[in-house]
Amino acid sequence: MAALGSAATRPHYGGTLRVEIRESPPSPEVFGVPKGFVLTTWEAGRRAVFTADENAPGGRPFLDNVDIQLARSLRDQSVDLELGKADVVELGLAELRRHAAGRWPSSPVRLMALVFSPRVTDARVREALALAVDRSAIHSVLLQKQGEISGALLPQWISGYAFVFGASADMAKAQALVASLAPADRTLSLAVDDAANRGIADRIQLNARDAHLAVSIVPATANADVRLVETRIPSADVPHALASVAMAFGLNEPAAARNPEEQYLAERALLDGYRVIPLFHLPDVYGAGPRVQGGPVIDQLGEWRFDSLWLEDRP
Amino acid sequence: MMFRTRLLLIFAVAITAAVGIVELIVSSSARRAFESMEARRVNAIVAQFHKEFQRRGEEIVRTVEGIADTALAREIAITPDPSSYLTEADALASTNRLDLLELVAADGAIVSSHQWQARFGYKEDWLANEHDWQSRAAFLKREELPEAVTLALMAVRTVVAGEMKLYVAGGRALDREFIASLVAPEGMRVLLYRNLAPGFAPSELIDAGGPVASSSLLRPLVEQVETQRREAVGTIGHGASAETFHALPLAGRDNDVLGVLLVGNSRRELVQLEGSMLQTAVIVAVTGILLAIVLSWWATARITRPVQQLAESAGRVAAGNWGATVEVASRDEIGQLAAAFNRMTHELVEQRDRLVQAERVAAWRELARRLAHELKNPLFPLQITVENLQRAREKYPDQFDEVFREGTSTLLAELANLKQIIGRFSDFAKMPAPEMQSVNLNDLVAETMRLFEAQLANAGIGASVQLDPALRPVQVDGEQVTRVLRNLILNAVDAMPGGGTLTVRTAALGTGVRLEVSDTGQGLTPEECERLFTPYYTTKTHGTGLGLAIVQSVVSDHKGRISVESETGRGTTFRIDLG
Repeated sequence: MAALGSAATRPHYGGTLRVEIRESPPSPEVFGVPKGFVLTTWEAGRRAVFTADENAPGGRPFLDNVDIQLARSLRDQSVDLELGKADVVELGLAELRRHAAGRWPSSPVRLMALVFSPRVTDARVREALALAVDRSAIHSVLLQKQGEISGALLPQWISGYAFVFGASADMAKAQALVASLAPADRTLSLAVDDAANRGIADRIQLNARDAHLAVSIVPATANADVRLVETRIPSADVPHALASVAMAFGLNEPAAARNPEEQYLAERALLDGYRVIPLFHLPDVYGAGPRVQGGPVIDQLGEWRFDSLWLEDRP
Repeated sequence: MMFRTRLLLIFAVAITAAVGIVELIVSSSARRAFESMEARRVNAIVAQFHKEFQRRGEEIVRTVEGIADTALAREIAITPDPSSYLTEADALASTNRLDLLELVAADGAIVSSHQWQARFGYKEDWLANEHDWQSRAAFLKREELPEAVTLALMAVRTVVAGEMKLYVAGGRALDREFIASLVAPEGMRVLLYRNLAPGFAPSELIDAGGPVASSSLLRPLVEQVETQRREAVGTIGHGASAETFHALPLAGRDNDVLGVLLVGNSRRELVQLEGSMLQTAVIVAVTGILLAIVLSWWATARITRPVQQLAESAGRVAAGNWGATVEVASRDEIGQLAAAFNRMTHELVEQRDRLVQAERVAAWRELARRLAHELKNPLFPLQITVENLQRAREKYPDQFDEVFREGTSTLLAELANLKQIIGRFSDFAKMPAPEMQSVNLNDLVAETMRLFEAQLANAGIGASVQLDPALRPVQVDGEQVTRVLRNLILNAVDAMPGGGTLTVRTAALGTGVRLEVSDTGQGLTPEECERLFTPYYTTKTHGTGLGLAIVQSVVSDHKGRISVESETGRGTTFRIDLG
């Protein structure tokens, strides 16, 4: 892709970068301000415009403006990118296959996991579902190999020990566990917080069916037995990240840990009992149009980095 | 049972039976015709189904071949990592209007599935097991969906690119839309049972409108087809709601029964036709019965009226009118019978006249014999006495006076005897008509018995008089009844020469009285009893034989009835009912 770090073009000033995102922050404070820019227009739920700060500490950005359209669906963003109406868009799972090129992934900064309701008291059913899910098929096809398969709460690049947590499926063991359950306990309802992840939920349902678990997918608003959720890893600091994830999933606060061994034990303790089944660590993936130069558009943790971008003059 | 009633019943039964037989024959013919028509209609529907099935199969084959011939299919076939084609089956199925479409890699792993997208990577081994999909026609297949199982008409084609291969398996669900495409004539309907799971599932029995109500009624028929794997016929419901179903198995690739096509034919038309015929038969039968009544009336008028006249005439003959005749109105058997009856009565009258004449002659002869006998007895002493008087005058003149005196006494006595005999005959000849008056029979009996007390005592006969105090006065001629009683008592005395017991008894009847006179004599034989009341018949060595004849004559003049009971050696009882 010529847009990715191409040395054929030279940086130059000017132009407005058209960005579309799915989120719709309630206020500019929540949204944050990209480095090197100042907020000049805020239309809640619709639009935010940032203008280059002439007095930025590292120097003025190449771009004059960054015009961000808020609350755009992933599909609309993908279409706008294809039609040249946007320069940078978020790419959902469904759009990954359509935009195999021109992706800007971050490091895996989001954890996708199955989180059980406290009312599912039998650990066998939770373990059976954990063993039934074929993560590799989902990762290869639905996630288009984006991110990492993981059985840990924190990604490998943050903790360094994520590989220790097993993530492979064991259908025979899952079936044996289900066989030991009472028939009434072999049913689960699964809610999906993000409709974009419905395909993953369907596959989990199918895997569970192979293990003789009857999983029915219910609306996101339902009080389900288990939810397929994503949470963002807010920090590269292990204790902070672990505590944040634990809080996000309703787990107990992890024990204080001063070294990697203690951190591993703390995370292991959180995962014992299969209240949470980590599935994948996923990156933020953005697609960029062909005139965007100087990427990537985000840093390792998925934060905007517009200050190094410039636009190639193309129609 | 009257002849007329019998004739009516015969007519009614004959007509009803005839109508019933005709109705049965017509109904049977109608049923056969209906069943023949039903068979033709079912065959037409089945042929239509097969034609539609084949047409759709060919259409699916063409569609799947079209997909397999696309560059996209070739691209998927040759790509080493087809994971990015996950949703291609959706687009292709939508474009080609297929309900089911799967793109399957050479190893049988699903690359993309329209009907169940999450099944990517799962193996479809049955595709790899078949070597020649290119010439294979469409076939039925049970296809699993995320929430259900469906029955589909499928076709498979392969995309071969060098050593790489891709299976394209597409099809359409065999659902109610398919059923709706089969146009059934009025009174018929087409159902499809999709045999998608073990056991009968009522929801899988569908018609063009969806699941069929009361599907459980068809369960035995469906199960029979599944078990026997051949066509079966069954009827559900009763009466006008009855429906005959022809059920045909629909086999899949492995010859397993994946579905059952049911062609139902309402029997409403047949039932209505049969009802109409039955109604007509009833009307005809009722009309026939009415006609039978009229005919039997007419026939009996022609047949039974002469017979009835014959019966009435026979009754008159029985009542004594031997000259009764009937009108001969026809020359048939009845007319011949009437003529024969007339001849019979004519001959009866002639025979009666001849008999009367003969009896009259016999009576006169008997009378002459009796008279000769009765008169001969006193005449002989008269002759002897007169001869004695003549001889005494000639030979013994001195004793003539004495002889004359004795002779004249004897002559007078015998003349008196002759007079008495003549008087009895005279009495019988001039029996007067009774003069009715109210008489207490008990008093009459008691008074008469008193007259006989001395005679009975001399004869050594005991008298027993048993009078019913409840006896009411009756209208009789007292003098004649006294005469009757005296004759019976005298007969009883004559019957008991060695003594015995005379019993006279009265008893009240419903509206009259009864008088009985019994003796304990030797009794009478049955032949004697029969001739007892014949004039001049007697069982005694003396008497005129007129006593009981007079008794019977008196009783008859009083509209009464006399009978006799006798037992040899035990005695005789005469019983008279009057009033």
